[in-house]
Amino acid sequence: MSSDGDRTPPSLLSPRQELADSTAHGEVYLRRLRHAQLQLSLLALVAFGAVFGVLPLALYLLPGLDHVHLVGIPLTIWIMLVPLSPLFIAIGWLYARRADALDAAFRDLVQR
Amino acid sequence: MIALAAIGAVTVGTLGLGAWGVRFVRTTSDLLVASRSVTAWWNAAAISGEYLSAASFLGIAGLELQLGASALWQSLGFTAGYLALLLFVAAPLRRFGSYTIPDFAEARLRSPRLRPLASAIVLLIGGFYLLPQLKGAGLALQVVTGAPYWVGVAIVAVIVAVNVAIGGMRGITYVQAFQFWIKVFAISVPACVLLIHFGGLPGRAALFGEQLPRAPAHGLTVNLPGRQAVQFPTAATFTIGGRRVTVAAGARRTLPGGVPIHLPAGTAVPVAMGTIAQTGARWSRPVGGTHQSSPLLVYSLLVATFLGTMGLPHILVRFYTNPDGHAARRTTVRVLSLLGLFYAFPAVYGALGRSLTPQLYMTGQTDTVVLTLPRLAWPGTVGTLLGALTAAGAFAAFLSTSSGLLVSLAGTISHDVWPRLRREPPSGMSVRRWRFRVAALCAMVIPALLALLAQSIDISILVGWAFAIAASTFCPLFLLGVWWTRLSARGAAAGMVTGAGIATVAIFTGLALGDAQTSTVGALLAQPALVSVPAAFLVMIGVSLRDPASADVAAEMLALHAPEGLGLRLADDELDSGFTSELLT
Repeated sequence: MSSDGDRTPPSLLSPRQELADSTAHGEVYLRRLRHAQLQLSLLALVAFGAVFGVLPLALYLLPGLDHVHLVGIPLTIWIMLVPLSPLFIAIGWLYARRADALDAAFRDLVQR
Repeated sequence: MIALAAIGAVTVGTLGLGAWGVRFVRTTSDLLVASRSVTAWWNAAAISGEYLSAASFLGIAGLELQLGASALWQSLGFTAGYLALLLFVAAPLRRFGSYTIPDFAEARLRSPRLRPLASAIVLLIGGFYLLPQLKGAGLALQVVTGAPYWVGVAIVAVIVAVNVAIGGMRGITYVQAFQFWIKVFAISVPACVLLIHFGGLPGRAALFGEQLPRAPAHGLTVNLPGRQAVQFPTAATFTIGGRRVTVAAGARRTLPGGVPIHLPAGTAVPVAMGTIAQTGARWSRPVGGTHQSSPLLVYSLLVATFLGTMGLPHILVRFYTNPDGHAARRTTVRVLSLLGLFYAFPAVYGALGRSLTPQLYMTGQTDTVVLTLPRLAWPGTVGTLLGALTAAGAFAAFLSTSSGLLVSLAGTISHDVWPRLRREPPSGMSVRRWRFRVAALCAMVIPALLALLAQSIDISILVGWAFAIAASTFCPLFLLGVWWTRLSARGAAAGMVTGAGIATVAIFTGLALGDAQTSTVGALLAQPALVSVPAAFLVMIGVSLRDPASADVAAEMLALHAPEGLGLRLADDELDSGFTSELLT
């Protein structure tokens, strides 16, 4: 994603002017940002799906987990109640950091 | 009486705070200036406050009591929906600067003709979402005062409609944030106190073992509010008004109302028709315990909640109190943590209720467990006080969510639908304000009437439908509109009609067939998102691809994706946000 920065199209106008005028080059800059952001979002979605999306099927296929009790409560209930919210927050937090960084890199490129 | 006083205090407090706040933020520009000083935490609390509805406060615990641990998927889905919103739409939509979904549809696709369709879907989703709020209000007042169900529906409908119409309680950030903390307080404190009082979860065999919910050691005496058809899961001998009755396992009886029915200790309680008696081991299975927690149904529900949250009309408008796209992301991450905090508690009521208030299986009013559990399980002052607290929290939930919804509905009617009915020249501000008021009153009538009919349907099921329709219409519109340049107006319209059509037809077919959820088809009729969402996406993409590559969308993409601070974007004050922006004041 960041390696794209080395291949900026040569031009006489400043990147910011190109964007403001919606020239072909300006559109390329913006498309790169959009694709980088989408890739990041899809990556986060895959991370989320790999855990949460698979969970119902995993619990369905492994009924034995119900018989494992922890402090008198089935392990499955613990799994449903405890680790998932922190997981969502962690994915969201990491994603927001990276997405802001992509925006900042774009801002640097344009304001150069 | 204490509970009634608490409800009254919350209602008056909410209305008063709303009226007081409105005096300070009068105009749109005030709002925009004010919004820049609102921190991400305040915004996040306000979004969560508007979001946590009757379904979260009462519905999840009720569904858990009735069906079992599979109800927890719902709270997880309600939270995860904000992750989808964060990943795909929070920052771009904030940057795009449309206040409402019809605004977005029209501006992104440059098609005024999409506006009436988007408005119609807003009304459909809003109506479906308003219905369970009113149902919750009816139940809550019935439980607290013994008034008939319709009284609570009517009272909350009138309070909210009049209040929105006279201009109070428009989504003021601080009021909504305050509502959030009331709800967290009202659900967490009784849950913790009850857990401490009972030393953890009592009656584990009925929760996780091989037992059915049963009468406690001193027996169980129930006065049913009316005649109730029930089924006995095991053979039982009990008394109705002192007269001994013996029934065989699986027997169906209609029990009389108003007569004390006494079940001796250890008798498995009969369950209202439509409820299934389950052993603890089945009850506590999150997936596959019964057909109502089949993996297919769980996945369909998760799709609906994960993708539907972004399409709720009253939530989107809240994102404009974020000053920019970066702040929208920060706010959404905080929403995830606030919702995670809240949703730790409803599950406690479902589990305690199964052991301590098994009579709710007899009445079938499982949705009231959050309200009745403290009083029934712990007779005396403390239980009454805790019950008053949950009742007040529930009312905070009805008021805040239905006000937010009604503002969206009335705004859509007065701004988009009404001017279209009679072709008129653009009208002045006073006419538009007057229209908004009439629309607010009218928009409440149909959901209120439907709520009277929908008394027997679980709150969670009703809300699930609103999410299913949102996921099958506005979710594809946003995802493709934000990230795909080829989306055409025709494609968007075709996809939304397909999604809304499949979801609505499925829901009403399922209703007409009754309790036919035993099969795969039945599961998908009850929660159609697993079918309707992919169908909407496919139609939207397919029709768009057949259209010629759309005209230049560079300006729209710039508005959606270019970060702020480059001098490329119009400032908010320069955007023509129109009447809809007033709704936020």
